[in-house]
Amino acid sequence: MRRLGRGVLSIAASVLLTAAPAAAHFDATSKYTYRGCPGTEENRVDPINVVFTVWGTWGRAVSQIESHAGWTDTSGSAQSFVDHGSCYAMHAQQASGAGTRFHIRVRGQHPDATLGWTATGDAHHEDLVLFPTPCGHAVDSNGAQGSGFDQGRDELEARFTAAGHPAHRVWWGNTESFKQCDGDYAASDGWTVFIELHQVNH
Amino acid sequence: MRIGSIALALVGICLLFAGSGPAQDGSPGLSFFDVPQALAFHEFPLYDAGDRVDGLPLVAVLRRDDTADFVSFVYGDCTAGDDEGCAPPAEVQVWPACRRNLRLYDSPLSGTPAPEPTKVRGVPAAFFEDGERLELQTGISTVVVFAANRTRVLRIAAALRPLGASPSDRPLPRPDPGALAGTLRC
Repeated sequence: MRRLGRGVLSIAASVLLTAAPAAAHFDATSKYTYRGCPGTEENRVDPINVVFTVWGTWGRAVSQIESHAGWTDTSGSAQSFVDHGSCYAMHAQQASGAGTRFHIRVRGQHPDATLGWTATGDAHHEDLVLFPTPCGHAVDSNGAQGSGFDQGRDELEARFTAAGHPAHRVWWGNTESFKQCDGDYAASDGWTVFIELHQVNH
Repeated sequence: MRIGSIALALVGICLLFAGSGPAQDGSPGLSFFDVPQALAFHEFPLYDAGDRVDGLPLVAVLRRDDTADFVSFVYGDCTAGDDEGCAPPAEVQVWPACRRNLRLYDSPLSGTPAPEPTKVRGVPAAFFEDGERLELQTGISTVVVFAANRTRVLRIAAALRPLGASPSDRPLPRPDPGALAGTLRC
């Protein structure tokens, strides 16, 4: 029995020693959300344009989005994210209301040596389209301030920096156009904002 | 009277909650172009993949001029739903190289995408997103191809031509040195 125990322990140790270490880095290979898994180009839905860093767990992201932006509504469709080659369900979504609104879906990743804990999101502003044909939420395509994706990112960036969170932008180039239910197209301008979160929740 | 009040209330609710419909031509931001408008466009050279590429028809030409600056040729259609946009099967975006070029990825910032450098149609290019996006530098333009996989992306790149020109597999114009250096001014 003791020998069996030692054998199991030995195998377990070998597995631990030989197993590939977790890829402990922030992975931005995929720059979009997906309608479901597997995440393919065909079922992309939104560009990712926000990365929460430092203490950017998805729970802290939710708490601080609620606190700084006031996006407390949690309605919306579920979507998926891809990192490190695997597809996962989102962790949460927050919106500024149920009608025409700001909205973001969030998924956390594991810590990165430079960025700390990270979570990614697809911030956007979307209209509730009721006519000529009611179709539900459609991301804004036009406006002097950019698309609805750019407006959502800018809103979060403004709210968080006003509350003292450092932020900077990184060029991702994920500018693919997405057709919306009103027949219009919306695209990110390709800039993703990295927002530092603090440890303490609100 | 009561019916009138209810109707008025409904209209009011609709006005409160309804968003805008499709963009109108001439409004700032993104608008629908057509091919004649694109042919008359001279701010930077445009490239497309013809009326049809890889079995996909050209379904929309878009012009965006705000925080982004491009003319887009959308190939194939998709069905969007409530709260869920959809990705068309393929898209060719043309940007001025002064706004978008491969030097933008030479950033020390953590989280910057790593290009996969290559050469396509005789010009410097780079793949991103596992080959689902290709960016080519030609003249003073940057051509960006989006599609489902590397094979389709390359088929579309092979069909690129100056807008309005006949199909050709000749090399694309070499990039302006300023486009490669990221020093072009708009």
